[in-house]
Amino acid sequence: MPQLEAPQKTDFQSETYKDAYSRINAIVIEGEQEAYDNYLALAELLPDNKDELIKLSRMENKHKKGFEACGRNLEVAPDMKFAAEYFAELHGNFQTAAAEGDIATCLVIQSLIIECFAIAAYNIYIPVADPFARKITEGVVKDEYMHLNFGEEWLKANFEQYKEGVEKANAANLPIIWKMLNQVEDDAAILEMEKEALVEDFMIAYGEALANIGFSTRDIMRMSSHGLRA
Amino acid sequence: MFGLIGHLTSLEHAQAAARDMGYPEYADEGLDFWCSAPPLMLDQEITVKSLTGQVIKGRYVESCFLPEMLATRRIKAATRKIINAMAHAQKHGIDITALGGFSSIIFENFNLKQIERIRNIRLEFQRFTTGNTHTAYIICRQVEQASAKLGIDLSKATIAVCGATGDIGSAVCRWMNAHTDVQDLLLIARDRERLNALQTELGRGRILGLDEALPQADIVVWVASMPKGVEIDAESLKKPCLLIDGGYPKNLDTKVQAPGVYVLKGGIVEHSLDIDWPLMQLVNMDAPGRQLFACFAESMLLEFEKWHTNFSWGRNQITVEKMEKSGAFRSSMASNRS
Repeated sequence: MPQLEAPQKTDFQSETYKDAYSRINAIVIEGEQEAYDNYLALAELLPDNKDELIKLSRMENKHKKGFEACGRNLEVAPDMKFAAEYFAELHGNFQTAAAEGDIATCLVIQSLIIECFAIAAYNIYIPVADPFARKITEGVVKDEYMHLNFGEEWLKANFEQYKEGVEKANAANLPIIWKMLNQVEDDAAILEMEKEALVEDFMIAYGEALANIGFSTRDIMRMSSHGLRA
Repeated sequence: MFGLIGHLTSLEHAQAAARDMGYPEYADEGLDFWCSAPPLMLDQEITVKSLTGQVIKGRYVESCFLPEMLATRRIKAATRKIINAMAHAQKHGIDITALGGFSSIIFENFNLKQIERIRNIRLEFQRFTTGNTHTAYIICRQVEQASAKLGIDLSKATIAVCGATGDIGSAVCRWMNAHTDVQDLLLIARDRERLNALQTELGRGRILGLDEALPQADIVVWVASMPKGVEIDAESLKKPCLLIDGGYPKNLDTKVQAPGVYVLKGGIVEHSLDIDWPLMQLVNMDAPGRQLFACFAESMLLEFEKWHTNFSWGRNQITVEKMEKSGAFRSSMASNRS
């Protein structure tokens, strides 16, 4: 039986590491910023849940500040231009859906795709992070698990009405997240984050969210396969 | 609720299963895809009814592990599959789950008990069982019953146990030593230190290399698991020779074919339970309605007994008493046909 290889020590100060970190850190900051904006937009669409959504947006803003501190700690300037382009397609789809009042798409993009992407990335990052970033990220993950996922619960409560909308939003947006994962594969590898572990963790979180909403394993497998079309 | 964590036997098998189950999108994906696939709990509940009418329910979790992951050294992927499948089963509130096929081997070999937390889940190991106690028990009963049928008298017979120091192998040795009057035990394994310890514990047994041992054996119990299987020269075996294939994959019947050599799939339970589970053919049983991996049967037995505990856990902890208990569970269900 083959054996596990001993993990290598990461040099967090090397130029290669810091270069990759400038993009990954920016993506995380931008992701939290998108989440902040998206929850505020959702608060307008769902006035009955306004207070809860504003509270969530504040939490995401707090997370953003934490990740900005991680960049400063390593003396890395996050490449925010890269991150904005990275999120552009998903961002555009959310904006369009919000303008049309398409709640299902907005919730799929923010509460399912972005949240699951974030939690997967943080879970995979924690074991390989520098000590400062590890502590910050652990705090963020704790927050994320603490709050009941708003979108999941909302879609669960309104499953029959929005089922089709969720499926359509999944088909349109899952390929985008797949492309995004592929795009950062090399940078993530420098941070010792393996793409296959990241994809697996994302699919676990995403599948669990879909199951909680009311989809069967068969539905989830069918919906997940859209990612492969990226 | 009982659970079964299983996996398919090869990439080719996985691709065919995806096609058969109506997922053509996945049918052409290669090993990379399976390395990043999440565990899946099949939607359909498994209902098991004993002859006494007791009904239990269970779920099957496909870990998406494939033996090629070990063969190509994708070790991290292999370990993730097992831990993630366990977390998935626990998250669904399953009381007792068997780690089928390579799952328990990977868990033990890579010392996965050190991973107590996965995401927001603290793994509760008492909810899992390797199923090895029942597998070892079934293999021993197969040896006793099949040898009698073939006219091999155990008191004059030599049994070679290949993989003797493993969890199942050492249990088989203990049983044969305590429960039968077998004349000679040949102990085959790679680790000399463990072999010496086993020999001391048994107070008997000869330590031999595979090539030296096989021609001397009337009965070969094969319980070594290897990602690629093994080659055995059928000509070198005694005639008659009973070969119990209890390792993984169970493919010795196709590899060792000679007159006088009888190969039995080991650790497979012949049962009379009424199991409503159309997906059983997925795991390549000869008679899907009447056969079951013994490790899976262990989780069902524990569920019937409402004994939600890791009955089989850790390496080389299987005692003859536990194996007897495992057999008694079976009898109490009045379903023992093997």
